[in-house]
Amino acid sequence: MDFYLGLIQIIGVHTLLGLSAYCVLLTGQVSLAQAGFFAIGAYVAGILTVLAQWPLIPALAVAAVVSGAVACAVGFPALRVKGLMLVVATVAFGEAVRLFFFNFTYQIQAGVLHLGPHGAEGFRQIRYFPQHGWSTLDVALFIWTVVALVMAGLWWLDHSRIGAVLRAVGEDELAAQSVGINITAVKVSAMTVGGFIAGIGGGIFAHYTTHIEHAQFGVVLATFAIAYPILGGLSNVFGTLLAAVFIQGFLIEGLRFMGDWRNLLFGGLIVLAMNVRPRGLLDAGTTRALRRLFAPRKERSGA
Amino acid sequence: MIDLVQNTIDGLMIGSSYGLLALGFTLIFGVMRRLNLSYGPSIMIGGYFGTVLYLQFGAGPLVVAVAVVVGAALAGLYVERLCFAPMKAGAAIASMVSSFAVWMQLEQAAILVLPRHTYAFPPLATGAPLEFGPFAVRIDHLVMLGCALGLAAAVQLLLYRTRFGLALRAIIGNPVAAHLVGVDVRTVMPLAFAGASAIGGVAGFLVLAVDQQVTPMFGMWATLKGLIAMMIGGLGSVPGAVLGGLLLGVIEVQSQWYFGPQIRDLAAYFVLFAVLALRPRGLVGSLSEASTQKA
Repeated sequence: MDFYLGLIQIIGVHTLLGLSAYCVLLTGQVSLAQAGFFAIGAYVAGILTVLAQWPLIPALAVAAVVSGAVACAVGFPALRVKGLMLVVATVAFGEAVRLFFFNFTYQIQAGVLHLGPHGAEGFRQIRYFPQHGWSTLDVALFIWTVVALVMAGLWWLDHSRIGAVLRAVGEDELAAQSVGINITAVKVSAMTVGGFIAGIGGGIFAHYTTHIEHAQFGVVLATFAIAYPILGGLSNVFGTLLAAVFIQGFLIEGLRFMGDWRNLLFGGLIVLAMNVRPRGLLDAGTTRALRRLFAPRKERSGA
Repeated sequence: MIDLVQNTIDGLMIGSSYGLLALGFTLIFGVMRRLNLSYGPSIMIGGYFGTVLYLQFGAGPLVVAVAVVVGAALAGLYVERLCFAPMKAGAAIASMVSSFAVWMQLEQAAILVLPRHTYAFPPLATGAPLEFGPFAVRIDHLVMLGCALGLAAAVQLLLYRTRFGLALRAIIGNPVAAHLVGVDVRTVMPLAFAGASAIGGVAGFLVLAVDQQVTPMFGMWATLKGLIAMMIGGLGSVPGAVLGGLLLGVIEVQSQWYFGPQIRDLAAYFVLFAVLALRPRGLVGSLSEASTQKA
């Protein structure tokens, strides 16, 4: 049972990571910096609960704000460039963050233990959950409450005027600009919201793994982050959730019995999915078809 | 002062391999306008092919070199068929995600063939470094620089002096127009892709021969170094790729010497970020305006 709860926790955190990339992707920006924001969130939240003895939720909030602020600061220079240049600039940022934590040591003595981040060895003993008697189920429920809140927030955003503006910028920048949308403001805001969500995800990640180190936050994690919304489709937030379940639940855990051959099949299946559905599993067409499938019943029940 | 000059010499030598990696990358990007994350892993597959020949049959450096280049080209072709050829024009990001998935595949394939973390790779040239007064130059580094400059010149000639190069430049300028005036886009594209991977293979062989070891991590390393050097120099330009590579090498060696090995990569990313923010087109202008379109 604990194994499945653990898997559910992983899927939840990866969904948050995917959602952070989803926001940025809506404006047409491919950002590989999300792993960097995730790392900042993880370290900040870990430092606050372990070294400053803060409760979890304020620590997560501060982690999210710090990540969001960094994302906002990075957004201005990074968004001057587009397309591939942006991808590379964000890779550079993400790797710079990773290398920063590789060199970052700040420890305090607590009894026999040294607590805090220790360079290449990473940050051990983030033991907030066991210390406060949270069971695996509690943690899983907490994670999914956060995921649900974030998804609801993004869903609301998507269906408001803001969502339309974000998508307008993503579809055609020139057209969006010509109807008076301030593109820089929109892109930087999307980046900030993305950083904020990644910060929450990172903070939670630090606490359920209890040990974080720089190597976890590399280019591979960053690519996973954008792979979720792209594989899932950008028509709504459930695509990202679906893709996180598909990749983490099925491709990674479900195929574990294949042993060494798993990654070969993993790669093949993603390539297949992208070939068959280049706009994602849940693209606009599928969403419309699903709505048509359910809409008539709703009308009848409403009448 | 002597340190500064010696570091610059070392940096130029190491940077020449980055320049070669960037050259292959820039060709792929110019033709496809898409980011191929599997570029480095394709080269790594070539490296593993060479290593297997070396370990199993005791192949010499020349055979291994050919094996690495051919292996990289074939792996590149595999990536092109799977991730780039079948994707429609609008699905550039889908290509990128697919190439990431293939990267996982290639890395796993390498681990299946040779499961240990590192394997020996045949050295290129042994012997004492050449001495010029107070400065020393390793022989294999000199070979690396020579190969890089020679190949870059050959690619430049190919692009501007042959019919194939003309076809390639036509595609880089506008694929649809190139198709309309009779360029066989479907043949030229995979050829260019395989050729670009082969150039990466040459770079891969030289780097592996200097390091004398190969690991599955080499793929990611090659992708990152090629990408950074290409972006510093400017997309889609042969001189830009070489210049970007040399500059990256010098920056890395100097920062390692003066600030320690932890700062080496950080300095490289910092310079890249600065170049992108201040001169988004890179130091040298690009082959065509259009190559700065959405990736």
